[in-house]
Amino acid sequence: MKTPKLAYVVEDNPITSSITKLIIKKKLHCGRVQTYANGQRAFDQLTAVLQAGTDEVPDLILLDLNMPLMDGWEFLDAFARLPITQKVCVFILTSSIHPDDIEKARRYKQVQGYFSKPLEDDNLARMQELFQTNCG
Amino acid sequence: MKQPFDAAAALPGPTPSDQILLDFLQQQVLDGLWWQDMQTPAHEWVNERFWHTLGYTADEAPATWRATLHPDDQQKIRLHEEACLRDPACTYDHTARYLHHNGSVVWLRCQGLLLRDATGAPTRLIGTLRNVTPEKQAGAYAQEVATHYGLILSNQSVYIIKTDVQGNYTYVNDFFYERFGRDNAIIGTSSLLSIYEDDRPKCLAVVMQCFAEPEVPHQVILRKPYLDNTIKSNHWEFKGIRNAQGEVVEILCVGYDITLLVENLEKSQHLLDVTSQQNIRLQNFAYIISHNIRSHSANLTSLVQLLAEAEDQEQQEMFLQMLQTSTGKLAETIVNLSDIVAVNSNVSKPKETRQLKAEIDKTLEALSVLIHQHRITLDVQVSPEVVVTVVPAYLDSILLNLISNAVKYRSPDRPTVIRLRTYSEPGFTVLEVQDNGLGIDLVKNQAKLFGMYKTFHDNEDARGVGLFITKNQIEAMQGSITVESEVGAGSTFKVSFYENA
Repeated sequence: MKTPKLAYVVEDNPITSSITKLIIKKKLHCGRVQTYANGQRAFDQLTAVLQAGTDEVPDLILLDLNMPLMDGWEFLDAFARLPITQKVCVFILTSSIHPDDIEKARRYKQVQGYFSKPLEDDNLARMQELFQTNCG
Repeated sequence: MKQPFDAAAALPGPTPSDQILLDFLQQQVLDGLWWQDMQTPAHEWVNERFWHTLGYTADEAPATWRATLHPDDQQKIRLHEEACLRDPACTYDHTARYLHHNGSVVWLRCQGLLLRDATGAPTRLIGTLRNVTPEKQAGAYAQEVATHYGLILSNQSVYIIKTDVQGNYTYVNDFFYERFGRDNAIIGTSSLLSIYEDDRPKCLAVVMQCFAEPEVPHQVILRKPYLDNTIKSNHWEFKGIRNAQGEVVEILCVGYDITLLVENLEKSQHLLDVTSQQNIRLQNFAYIISHNIRSHSANLTSLVQLLAEAEDQEQQEMFLQMLQTSTGKLAETIVNLSDIVAVNSNVSKPKETRQLKAEIDKTLEALSVLIHQHRITLDVQVSPEVVVTVVPAYLDSILLNLISNAVKYRSPDRPTVIRLRTYSEPGFTVLEVQDNGLGIDLVKNQAKLFGMYKTFHDNEDARGVGLFITKNQIEAMQGSITVESEVGAGSTFKVSFYENA
């Protein structure tokens, strides 16, 4: 079974961020997990990585929607313009159950799944499966 | 010279005798016939048919036909007869009322032939009578109907106009004159130009329909300036009227004032808009509440599980610490939400008048430590006379939020200056709070600016509820808030306080 080598957790709440990091390390067997407090920080890091040309591109991104500076949507728009050749699995992980958000997420083709918090076993199982089929 | 008509010569074969012809005319064509001797007027002969027309048998008949003449018409007949006796050019022809045996009125038209002797003196008068009562009654009925509808129309607020095919007025009724204050000079002028400019294309389109589909009403609502320069909305029915050749020669327009209706409709529409907005706001609010509470409860759920699965003492302590922080955040969120619910649910909190300057000074006093610490220059151009009608607690909160935001988001590159000034707009007192701070990218953030839990700067303290509450409080007082901002230059918040005129 293929497991994520490098995951980004893009989340402004530090506690949520720590919890998510712990859980995906433990349950999804992620190799390394990096946390970013908003979309801008994650995007800056991605840009830097791409410029450096290293093998540091994440294969999994867990993205929150409501964040300061650059929110999840803005990150997705910016992300779509990046010249990434590797497969990156983007999952939305949010507290929002607003139907508008769920509908909007469907329209982003980079988004492989929409998950509402908390990150429990059924959510994790679905993540695992989607990662295998779409990004493995 | 006229050729005498000789039926016997024109039509060979059997010819009716004069007596047969006369009987036919007497009995079948005419409703009465009489002869009168003009030398001795008492000598008269009246045929049976005449008496029959008036409901008499020969035995019951009065002495003379003149006795059956309606008293009101006797004078008229006498004058007419005298005129005919004097003047040979006069044609004996009159229509008058006669009294039927049963008392009803019978209208008879009498055409007479006056015979004269060689000297020109009248000798005999022959009168032929025809009953014209049905025609008279039909005429009277038509008159009655016309008066009836005329009365109805003149008592209704209905405009009736006609135009030619060029759209120039050819007729307008009195009510139209009355309402639009134009005299007869309006006839021949363009009806289109009298219509409110924006509605002219609509009017033209309906006129085109009248040509395409004549004799059928086409409806339209048009606005038109009234005598007192107010604009009135009228509902019209246009109809293309055709001549005998089937060409449309004029447009008949019937209209009535629906201004009140339109105004009420607009009011309902406005109410509907307000309600829809409120509905959307409430729905969003429900999702916001759910989002904010869920984000903490999700952490609590996860932390409890992590705690249960903790591998060592150190991890356990870390999770406990995080649990404590999370419950604290949840409590804080609930306090924030109850603040917002309070604003949203208490639309009718009592308003009081407050001196704006005094309230600003109070806020600045509360923020004096911050202001002093960051060496902020304040420029307050608010006259002590300016009074606003507000919910006092809301005003405190609004001022505190706007001014503390200006302090919080100051620019590190230049000395901070915060300017406050007021001015009047119709129905509103406007307060401007201007800073030279970081500014906000409105192109990106306009929609989110007054939303909940939206923060725009990488600021750990930002709660993202301030402007949301501020906006709600201002709107609860029927006011509004707008912003102009430029990244790196600063922001100007404009608060309009509603003032009852």
